[in-house]
Amino acid sequence: MDRDSPVTFSRRVVLAGLLTAYTASLIPWALAASAPDADRGSFLVLSALIAGREALDTDLAMRYYDALVKQDPLFPAAAGAVLALINQHQIDPLQLQAWLDESRPELAGVPRRVATAWFLGIVDTAEGARALAYEDALNAQIVSDVLQPPSYCHGGYGSWARKPDPGQTDV
Amino acid sequence: MVVTAVGPESPIRARQMSEPLSADFVVVGSGICGALAAMLLAQRGASVIMLEAGPRVGRAQLLANFRNSPRRSDWMSPYPFSPWAPHPVYLPEANEHLLQAGPYPYPAEYIRMVGGTTWHWAALAWRYLPSDLEMFSRYGVGVDWPFDYAQLEPYYQWAEELIGVAGAEEEHPESPRQKPYPMQPVAEPWAMRRIRERLDGTYRVANNPVARNSRTFGHRPACCGSNNCQPICPVDAQYHGGISVAAAEAAGVRLIANAVVYHLEHDDQDRIVAAHFHDPERNSYRITGNTFVVAANGIETPRLLLMSTSERFPNGIANSADTVGRYLMDHPSTSLTFDADEDLWLGRGPQSPSSISALRDGAFRAERSAYRLDFTNISRVDSTTRRLLQEGVYGAEFERRLRHSAAREMSVKTVLEVLPRPENRITLSGKKDALGLPRPQAHYAIDDYTRGGALDAKQHFTRIAQLMGGSNLRFTADDDFANNQHICGTVRIGDDPATSVCDSWGRTHDHDNLFLVGTGLLPTAGTCNSTLTAIAVALRSVDAMLPVAAPSAAGQGRS
Repeated sequence: MDRDSPVTFSRRVVLAGLLTAYTASLIPWALAASAPDADRGSFLVLSALIAGREALDTDLAMRYYDALVKQDPLFPAAAGAVLALINQHQIDPLQLQAWLDESRPELAGVPRRVATAWFLGIVDTAEGARALAYEDALNAQIVSDVLQPPSYCHGGYGSWARKPDPGQTDV
Repeated sequence: MVVTAVGPESPIRARQMSEPLSADFVVVGSGICGALAAMLLAQRGASVIMLEAGPRVGRAQLLANFRNSPRRSDWMSPYPFSPWAPHPVYLPEANEHLLQAGPYPYPAEYIRMVGGTTWHWAALAWRYLPSDLEMFSRYGVGVDWPFDYAQLEPYYQWAEELIGVAGAEEEHPESPRQKPYPMQPVAEPWAMRRIRERLDGTYRVANNPVARNSRTFGHRPACCGSNNCQPICPVDAQYHGGISVAAAEAAGVRLIANAVVYHLEHDDQDRIVAAHFHDPERNSYRITGNTFVVAANGIETPRLLLMSTSERFPNGIANSADTVGRYLMDHPSTSLTFDADEDLWLGRGPQSPSSISALRDGAFRAERSAYRLDFTNISRVDSTTRRLLQEGVYGAEFERRLRHSAAREMSVKTVLEVLPRPENRITLSGKKDALGLPRPQAHYAIDDYTRGGALDAKQHFTRIAQLMGGSNLRFTADDDFANNQHICGTVRIGDDPATSVCDSWGRTHDHDNLFLVGTGLLPTAGTCNSTLTAIAVALRSVDAMLPVAAPSAAGQGRS
């Protein structure tokens, strides 16, 4: 989609209305603008803050979002409320869980659900927890310069005997 | 989503009903011991039918189950239980197949599927120490085996050649051998090399002997280091019971899956004449045979014997001396986890590569447990992720901490010996499974002998951490013992029918034509996992079930 289209522009306006300079400085606007609606935009912004990444796989984001909403139709509103609180109180992501546990326990489950989706690829559903991602879950991506996700070959026989070389391809 | 590989099917639907359900040998259970015994019996010319309570599974489905599992650290999650042949599962909620009578929990795990429990194991292929077979005469505790290490040694070699064991003779003088290991040791992971180098001079760290290929062996490839030995090796570089079953079927064994044996029938000479089994719809079948071999693991074997009551044997088959199910043993573990002062990056290569064996034997065994110290090479990524999520660590800090723990965290655990005690036992509970069969119940305690070993190990844990420049030391609590799923002792061999279930050949004292194989036969637990020793004992028993011409059976029938 053309980034400068009026639709995209209006999403930006909606999102911008949620945010102050504090959050606005943290979020990847291009990522947020890729969302088809404001709720998904808010989810992407919250995801970026919790994941600590400016770039996220938007296809995966939509799968996580759809699964989270299916499990809890009120999730978009709760995610928006958490984002608003981060914005209003300038909460550092590292302090977010403790802050919500203390001050807004009714919202305390939101960041952990978002974090569990991104870092583990797992979302709770009516049928129990489901794995929506494995190799693409962020916990695999974060160490992918050194470790393969378990069950994927490390490399040729004995390649694991070599000294790890973080930042390089380790196979 | 985790799904069963194969749904319930009538065990004999695929066959003509007119085909007789009868064989020279009827083997109950298709795990590594039962399937290898069945294979050899067929190779020696016998007709063999092998009954398996659970369904057939395939490696590809198990691998998919693992990757799709929401609980990847729960190694049972790729192995769903079948309603008609349940095995114990504890997550996401316990199915209570194995009831707990206490006082200490015994949350055993095993797999009732074609191929059995070695679908997931670390493939450690240790031999016992000679002293492990002479605990009473050497140390005045436990019991002596009815034969010594030297008599078992050729069968160890045979077992190692059947399943393909990689090891270095010079690293393992504690268990003497006549011939070399079939394969060189598997390449040592970097993390284990660094641990070995930094502990050198204080502790000797050696490569574990493993049933894992260091080269193409048995038409299976070398290890590719995917760090997934448990719950499922994705390439069959690691041996498992599914491979044994394939070899058995190739040798002519007829496998009937989804056949839940619930009763062994005897005649008036006390010989076993038939096994009765249910299919998943609870239809009943009767299979006859000349010789019966029960190979249903250390819990399900005594369960079947105890269920098989008659007027003459009101306490069950092979149980006239009330020994079936008693002397239950396993290997409890304590551990220390800490952060080393250098990057190790556990998770590259196989999961369980290295150990310290120095504390596996000594005069102290008269007083307290021996133990092996085992270093894990399991990736810390999944466990660290879950811990950080629990702690609410988000944002850029998550990545920093995950990489730190993935690189630096390491762990060492004890593998502690348990003495055979009659009060530690498997019995039948009052609760029934879906087919109406009584569920097994565990009575288990961890005594001062074992706890003494755990206490002794703490000084070595601390020393190891010092040598690794460790920080953030996390010891397990003194009363917190993890279980290793090495179920031993419950149908043990022995010369005295009053204190054992089988003779030295695995033949039950009460029934001439009923043999047992599996880890339940081992009278002592030692400090290593039980699989290789159980196979060696089973191979020795095959020589009694169906002898071949001299010189020695060892060396015959290799696949």
